[in-house]
Amino acid sequence: MTDSHLPRRTLLRYGAYGAGAAALAGTAASWDRLTGADIPGRDDGSLVVATLGSAFDPATVDALTKGFHRLHPDIPLRVNAVQAVDWSDFFAKILTQIAAGTAPDLVYVATEGVQLFARRLGVSLDRWVRRDAAELREYFADVHPSLVESMMYEGNLYQLPMEFNAADMYLNKQVLKRAGAGFPAADWSRDDFTALLREMKRTGGSHFTPYFWTNRLWGGVVPWLFANGTNLLKESKAPGGSWLWDTFYPAADRRGRGGGFRWTTPQAATDRVEEAYDYLASLVQDDLCTRPEGGNGSNLVGVFSTGRVGVTPAGGFWAGGLQQAGVRADGYDVQYFPRWRTQRHQFGAAGYALLRTSKKQEAAWEFIKYAARKDTMTRLFRTNQTTPARRSMLNAARYATSGPAHWRVFYDTLDRFPDTGPIPAPPQVAEVTDVLLKYTGTALASPRAVGPALRRMQGALEQAMEREV
Amino acid sequence: MTNTQVPDSQVPNSQGPNSQGPPVSSRPATPSAAAVRPSARDRGTRLLAALFLAPTVVGIVVFTVVPIIGSVVLSLFHWNVIDPPRFAGGANYRTTFTDSTVLVSFRNTLLFMVLAVTLQLLIALTLALALNGRMPVWLRSVFRSAFFFPLVLSAASISVVMKYLFNQDFGVVNWLIGLVGVAPVPWLTSEHAAMATVILVYVWQQFGFSFLLFIGGLNNIPKEIHEAAALDGATGLRKHLGITLPLLSPTLLVASVVGIINALQVFEQPYVLTDGGPGDATRTVVMVIYERAFEQLDFGEASAVGVLLFALIMAVTAVQFRLSRRFVHYQ
Repeated sequence: MTDSHLPRRTLLRYGAYGAGAAALAGTAASWDRLTGADIPGRDDGSLVVATLGSAFDPATVDALTKGFHRLHPDIPLRVNAVQAVDWSDFFAKILTQIAAGTAPDLVYVATEGVQLFARRLGVSLDRWVRRDAAELREYFADVHPSLVESMMYEGNLYQLPMEFNAADMYLNKQVLKRAGAGFPAADWSRDDFTALLREMKRTGGSHFTPYFWTNRLWGGVVPWLFANGTNLLKESKAPGGSWLWDTFYPAADRRGRGGGFRWTTPQAATDRVEEAYDYLASLVQDDLCTRPEGGNGSNLVGVFSTGRVGVTPAGGFWAGGLQQAGVRADGYDVQYFPRWRTQRHQFGAAGYALLRTSKKQEAAWEFIKYAARKDTMTRLFRTNQTTPARRSMLNAARYATSGPAHWRVFYDTLDRFPDTGPIPAPPQVAEVTDVLLKYTGTALASPRAVGPALRRMQGALEQAMEREV
Repeated sequence: MTNTQVPDSQVPNSQGPNSQGPPVSSRPATPSAAAVRPSARDRGTRLLAALFLAPTVVGIVVFTVVPIIGSVVLSLFHWNVIDPPRFAGGANYRTTFTDSTVLVSFRNTLLFMVLAVTLQLLIALTLALALNGRMPVWLRSVFRSAFFFPLVLSAASISVVMKYLFNQDFGVVNWLIGLVGVAPVPWLTSEHAAMATVILVYVWQQFGFSFLLFIGGLNNIPKEIHEAAALDGATGLRKHLGITLPLLSPTLLVASVVGIINALQVFEQPYVLTDGGPGDATRTVVMVIYERAFEQLDFGEASAVGVLLFALIMAVTAVQFRLSRRFVHYQ
């Protein structure tokens, strides 16, 4: 080394750089800034409840929080409204939170996730339900056993149902009038339904689609499978559950009940499933209904309210949606799904699941009980954005403004058709749903595509069901 | 480091025989230590350069290199987020290579890449050449802004709007073509039309980037060369083929490399427009990664597919650079 000494000027310059950098670092370190710890309620010992963001509006969440605080001032509560497109998106975000070590204590879970959460993440509510049986009698007496059974897994109860939606048929009264058709009878058949669609099409013009449906697990092909007396996966009941049925339900209601649903062997390639797909394919070919991928729930209110769609399957949630969109209560009505071999309907329900990672399980149970109270549910479901699980909440006053005239259909879908059941949602529900959507699109792509597509669907479903979840 | 004496005969002669530069023999045969060792000023400059580069390098390491290594490691495990990871060896890769959905998604992605990038470059180049000609400056600015505008919008938002426009039953596009007697087209619901529609939407959004690159490249071509060619009697087409394109080839290389890398990672447009359907007709590799990871909770297999996609992108890019030696001309 011949030049090991830095010139004085260079040394001064480096000194200035260093001082500047130190000053910047010091300023940055002392700057008041937001961190994860600044999020209200974060790591403060609050009971964290994750809900699907769009399920409850901020005012409702506020009411929920304040009401719970009045009842349990010692349990701080934070409602984490997770914004998501649908239930699968919501689950993905919850699972990401769990992976990140910020798992909530309670998660609002719909049928699609009940068994997945029960198997992997959930805590059975059995012991608390048994302990507080006296307190809960009024709740169970008000809630249909089918909804409760849909929240059971292998004999244990994982959620108290808060809401549900069965797939009924919404009819546009303006379109009915244009077609000169009367309101269908409650026991209308599939052929009556087809004839109505043809009448609507005849009088509707080229830009009119009589039947609008979306390709999804709830409200897509599945209601037609149920009506045709079949299902995507073989359905049976798990043993157990008598501890609950015997405690809360009279003999007539507990007959045939078990420990929750089991969906096992795929049966996509069976005759009845193919028959249901053939029927839908014929509707598509005759321009009587949208193609599966064409149907998109996001623009449905618009096309329905402007008379470009005549009929669509939806649950009680649509009463609120149509009212928000400015549709008058007398502009539409609702009827049961048409009868085919059966008139069994499908539904999806939701409630709070308690996570086994929660360290506040007693407090979480108090919240579950609080949320299931009638006064709380009345505050939560003010706008008819869903069908409350409590029968007593469905009354004329609730639907006086939003409609429809036949609002009784919503709960009667359970009471009048007690075999009405949940959509097939085993723990592998995400893959099952993907397979269903994909091959439904393929099956209805061309006239003779149904058989081959269903055979491939069968293979894919078998593969999906074999996967360890 | 010691200074190695380099004999005159081994000093590479990078200059041609007619070079006007100093002869190689004029270089010192044994460079002094001062000539090789950087001066204090150089060292300061290098240190400053390193300081400026450091945040970027750290960012690349933390947000790119580490996740890549993480993905490679994760691809060797079964992990569902909930349970601890279990070592799987090559099982995820074996599953990937036998899964028809994954294989179809790779085929779709490659098809998408070829068609979308070709169309994107052709449109961008054509428009850039057209706008580079005689046109009022203000009009040129309007066109440039218009072409670039879609690029600044969110791909998801654009796709949502496009989904409405291309809806077979209620879309504006079918309504418009219906006015001239054309039957409704199943833009998003037919196996053949769906991919074309997705490509159309993608190209419409993306070509503005290539267009801007081409505009910049065209502006860098000296006018004198075109003028000289004109004096030699070259016509418009001849000038484009013989002068513009060769001189634009470095820009073309950049545009195609960026275009191909983006196209191989396409997600939003097919996800929103068709959700990969009908069937698997528009399912792309990144969609499969998303589905495996966040819908089926199989992060190991998702990582395996991701690693394969990474390898594919690296391979395609390497081939491009290799081929570029033949067709890229630097001034």
